Amino acid sequence: MEAAAAVDEGLEFKWGKQKGIGGKKKDVRFYESFTFDGDEYRLYDCVLVADPSEPDSDELFVGKIIKIWEHTNKRAKHPRQVKLLWLFKPSEMPPGVVEGVPELLENELFLASGEGPGLASVNPLEAICGKCSVLCLSKDERNLQPTDEEIKSTDFVFRRAFDVGSCKVLDTIDDKISGVDVKFIFNRAGSTSKKEATPPVLKIQLDVNGSADSLTPNGLSACGSVRSTEDNSNEASDCRESSSGRREGKEKFADESSNKDSSVQQSTSEHASSEASGSRGDHYDGKAQDNEVRKQFTKQKSMPAEERDSNSCEASGSKKLFTKQNSMPAGERDSNGLDERPQKKQKLDGSAIVSNGRNTNILQQSVSSDGKRDTCLFKRPREKVTGGESPPENLKKKRDLGVSVSEGKDAKTGTGKGLFKKPSFDGKLSKRSEEKIVEIDYRRDYQVTEVTPKPDAVNSKWFRPLPWEESMREAEKEEKLVLLQNLDPTYTSEEVQDIVYSALNEQCTARMIERTSVSFSHIGEALVIFNSRQAAVRAIRRLDEGCLLLSNGRPLVAAFAKINPPGKPSSPFCGHIKLQKTQPRRETRDTVSTSRGSQPNTLEFEMGMEWRLLRARSDHALETVSKRQLEERKTQRINFKPKLP
Amino acid sequence: MANPEEEEEEEKYESFLSRVRRTVYVDELTPHASKSVVESAFSQFGTVKDVIFLPNYLGPKELPTGVLVEMESEQTAKAVIETVSQFPFMVAGMPRPVRASAARPAMFSDRPKKPGRTIQFRWVDPSDAEFDKAQRVKRLVRKHTAEAAFMIKKQLEEAEELAKQQSETVTTHHKKFEMIDKLTHDRVAQELAGRYNIKCGPPHR
Repeated sequence: MEAAAAVDEGLEFKWGKQKGIGGKKKDVRFYESFTFDGDEYRLYDCVLVADPSEPDSDELFVGKIIKIWEHTNKRAKHPRQVKLLWLFKPSEMPPGVVEGVPELLENELFLASGEGPGLASVNPLEAICGKCSVLCLSKDERNLQPTDEEIKSTDFVFRRAFDVGSCKVLDTIDDKISGVDVKFIFNRAGSTSKKEATPPVLKIQLDVNGSADSLTPNGLSACGSVRSTEDNSNEASDCRESSSGRREGKEKFADESSNKDSSVQQSTSEHASSEASGSRGDHYDGKAQDNEVRKQFTKQKSMPAEERDSNSCEASGSKKLFTKQNSMPAGERDSNGLDERPQKKQKLDGSAIVSNGRNTNILQQSVSSDGKRDTCLFKRPREKVTGGESPPENLKKKRDLGVSVSEGKDAKTGTGKGLFKKPSFDGKLSKRSEEKIVEIDYRRDYQVTEVTPKPDAVNSKWFRPLPWEESMREAEKEEKLVLLQNLDPTYTSEEVQDIVYSALNEQCTARMIERTSVSFSHIGEALVIFNSRQAAVRAIRRLDEGCLLLSNGRPLVAAFAKINPPGKPSSPFCGHIKLQKTQPRRETRDTVSTSRGSQPNTLEFEMGMEWRLLRARSDHALETVSKRQLEERKTQRINFKPKLP
Repeated sequence: MANPEEEEEEEKYESFLSRVRRTVYVDELTPHASKSVVESAFSQFGTVKDVIFLPNYLGPKELPTGVLVEMESEQTAKAVIETVSQFPFMVAGMPRPVRASAARPAMFSDRPKKPGRTIQFRWVDPSDAEFDKAQRVKRLVRKHTAEAAFMIKKQLEEAEELAKQQSETVTTHHKKFEMIDKLTHDRVAQELAGRYNIKCGPPHR
């Protein structure tokens, strides 16, 4: 529940008009509308939900809200739920079906109809990624014909239906679909919503071949979750999540973060969602795990184990439950790897992992910054602004951008684009994406996000980390070592790692360089080892071109680091004198082998004093310079808190 | 829920701070010194619990190293600092004395996080007025680093000069001494003294 509470504080939510009461124990309330995160959703509006099994893809599914309710008993993990009647994209249809369809429009969808799995499913309300506009082009007389302008400006259109039972495309729309009267399916006056989401993004096809294939047939054939009866009773049970499994095969979980011990803020997540991944629908464990936030998604795809690799993987075993798909397993891993962070876009975190009741760890935590969130194109710009205002923690919690998933992959992939919306298929960063990343950085300007602890690197679970020295030298050879400057000198190495993770979405190990008297005390520096050269180059580029401002008003400066070769200096220490004596003198011997304070009546003493004098002079010089530098910095004070336009 | 975690963090930090108070930061040490040498040097003051060398990754090789010496108690640490500040204390070689001062938390690389502190960040948009300022600050930081590097170089140079000078002095003194020593040894000095009716210096060996 904590998650729910968190969501409440974060994304604004308000119920609209109540419609009735139901449920076995009369503890369920039905509504006609609600306001979520600044948007008002009414019954029969069309919304976008993300694909939980493809966290990295931008592919979102379109569904029509046909029921909205809330459990009032505290037990439910997702008290607020919606039932969505699906509108299939051609890519979601079983292979072979869509080819036979004449005149397929670019943004045409197929309304699910008939009886059977895949018709509609129940999802937690928080799974909604945004609104979209869908126009019905059917020539049926009951349908309010849209104007040409509307057609041009709408996100999607539909005019045919797809019968989920017989898996055939129908040209006419039934009178009642899933218990919903057809008049609500046709265009209603005033019901078209302006779309805010940018459709083009939706057109991104799933890159992974496997996934695409697996999605469709599986999903439609076996959806366990279908809830054809919308009874309260069903809803009352916790299964809701499971029902969503349109695609059951995969269980997804974005959140699976691998190891997160730390982070944690998530309290709930730990329980692995047992979401029964849809697949058979019978498993409902009812654990929704939300990992705090999230959106649970209806379609659960089990994420191939890869996600978990980081995780302790025990979970992976469990996950697999149903899946079928695991088509992805290794293949996906890589392709998904690309995306690692894409989760941001959708908060798939919630996803349930289907483990039959096994708990998988969870979620990672918080992912970093909300900033990531911004990259999601679906998010309205508004969100960005509010980011600045609302308490960072909440933001962060709420939009847990699937970072969790990424963690797992972090270890492997250096491609942290995270911000990147379009994963390249082969996983290679394209130039465009690099630029985009930098751009995206800018877009997040009003986001004041908190640095969240980074999830433990996958590595730590699998093998002991090398001692710092060695890894540093190695990193320098491979050009993965970066020097970060202008940190606050009191930061610790872990904090630096967290910062890099949150802001740049890169896993790294860092070490703050200790402040000694010879280095200036007001500039904090750290040596950071990235996972790959590319990651290092990327990070440097981003920090150079953009400006990452920390809360103390310091922008970070990064550059490749050059460190001293190992070993002691060749020449003897300057200042130590060895006298050649013909006769071994006791004093000399003593001097070398022991250390002691010298007495004022010896030559040593005098020389020693000379040294101290020299030191005092240089200290003084250093101080003057230091003071001047501080002055210069003061004049360049930067406001950390953004000034809203 | 956050509280027990927070408390734990605070406790850890507190114990870390007390460790810091017990530790002496010793500077101007020769990079050739080994841990045992340092330990034995400072054990004159009291038990030495731990000796941590501060690695020098970025600076020039010849820079004198710093060492963190953890003593038994805060008083011992204070005593060390005082003595070393008053008299030149030389470790593993003379005559360059080491310098001791109180250690600061920033010197420990394995320090725990300061509790209750959260770091926030944001990316600055290029169109934002702050962006230029931020870029300027970045340049300034680079400039400062360069200045710091220069200062360090300067310091090293001066140190070398002084060392050379001192070594010259010592060698000259030594030569003189040796010469006289030899003369007395060979009884040349005594003879000359006898000739000139002057008393001769050091007694015969």
